Amino acid sequence: MDKPEFYQRLAEILDVEEVKPEDVLKEFDGWDSLAILSVLAMADAKYGVSIKAEEIRSVVSAQDLANLVEAKHKPE
Amino acid sequence: MKLVFHRKRIAGTLVVVPANERSFAADMKNFNFPKSRSLKLKEVMGFDKRRVVGPDVCVSDLAVFGLEHLFERGWLKREEIDALIVVTQTPDYLIPGTSCVIHGRLGLKQDMLSLSISQACTGYLIGLIQGFMLLDQESIKKVVLVNSDVLSRKVSSQDRNIYPLVGDACSITVLERDTEGSVVHANVRVDGSRSGALMIPAGGMRQPHTLETAKLEDVGDGNWRAREHLFMDGAAIFNFVQTEVPPLIESLLKHAGAPMDSVDFFLCHQPNRFMLEKLADKMKIPRAKMPNDVVGHFGNNSGATVPTVMAFNLGERLLREKLLVCLAGFGAGLTWAGMLLNIGKFDFNTIIEYK
Repeated sequence: MDKPEFYQRLAEILDVEEVKPEDVLKEFDGWDSLAILSVLAMADAKYGVSIKAEEIRSVVSAQDLANLVEAKHKPE
Repeated sequence: MKLVFHRKRIAGTLVVVPANERSFAADMKNFNFPKSRSLKLKEVMGFDKRRVVGPDVCVSDLAVFGLEHLFERGWLKREEIDALIVVTQTPDYLIPGTSCVIHGRLGLKQDMLSLSISQACTGYLIGLIQGFMLLDQESIKKVVLVNSDVLSRKVSSQDRNIYPLVGDACSITVLERDTEGSVVHANVRVDGSRSGALMIPAGGMRQPHTLETAKLEDVGDGNWRAREHLFMDGAAIFNFVQTEVPPLIESLLKHAGAPMDSVDFFLCHQPNRFMLEKLADKMKIPRAKMPNDVVGHFGNNSGATVPTVMAFNLGERLLREKLLVCLAGFGAGLTWAGMLLNIGKFDFNTIIEYK
């Protein structure tokens, strides 16, 4: 999985310039229910990955989220 | 589960919506929530206007109003109704069923069947399935299906996750036998193990009403809700729809031998624009074939969103011509269902206001 691309997509969802791996998701103003839905949709559409609601709520940093998607992502 | 019905048709649909309109922008002002995020929600989810009943309006009020309208217009005769099915999760009373309440208020004949079914966002399809089954009986020539909820009365006004998007409506659909050799295919599924994702925990027999169950509780993110209010785990429902609905529809179409592009429209339950766009994308259906703007005009009015999309998006067209449509409902239960059928040449297909 192309991690920089993933962080860029996350930045678009959060409406910020850049997301760093160590950034804590809850500290973004834009990290709300809509952002969570957008992440679920992005993971599904771009990586073919279905993330459960409770999984996404348990992640802390952007890197945790990237790792979660990567662990489920099976390259074609 | 695959189901097939022969020689059954929808004769017409009427949707009753409350005249009382609320706006998303105005409602969001009551929450401590940045305006920019509200605007984004409006843009992405399509939330805008919605119709809600007053504090004392019940399902039977909307249904009686709509049925009287059909009688006055001559679109239906009182004595023709051989079965009345009412699908609701917001009944007038615990006892009797709302179907009997409506029957009594309209003075319908005694020699008929009255049925009250508890189903939410899949309710319209479950009602159609039940109605088509009843039409196999010789003595049942006409079935009236009422699918209605007044959910705005069961959501907390301090719950930002659900209050600004719920609407109320009542749909009335007349079903009858078709003289043409029509075939209706349906597919229904259920997973009760996930029922906690969308429920009203208290007020029934498991947790009867007490002062405690009516008390607003801090549920985080600045939202307050009582146990007698509707709870929805939005992210879990989103996942459920994206995961379960596409394979259901694929299986339905495959069994019916209908290629995806032979379907004129996919008329789905209308939770929000975002979810429907993602659903269309995932199924590789052009977004124009899956209307998604009911929520922005009327709110999410539970099972009645499916007839609302029929009347709102295809109102005039379905009076003149016939279209091959795939209906889909999904929600509390969890239940989800699809139905492939030809609809059109309706006797009526319109939306009226309840004042």
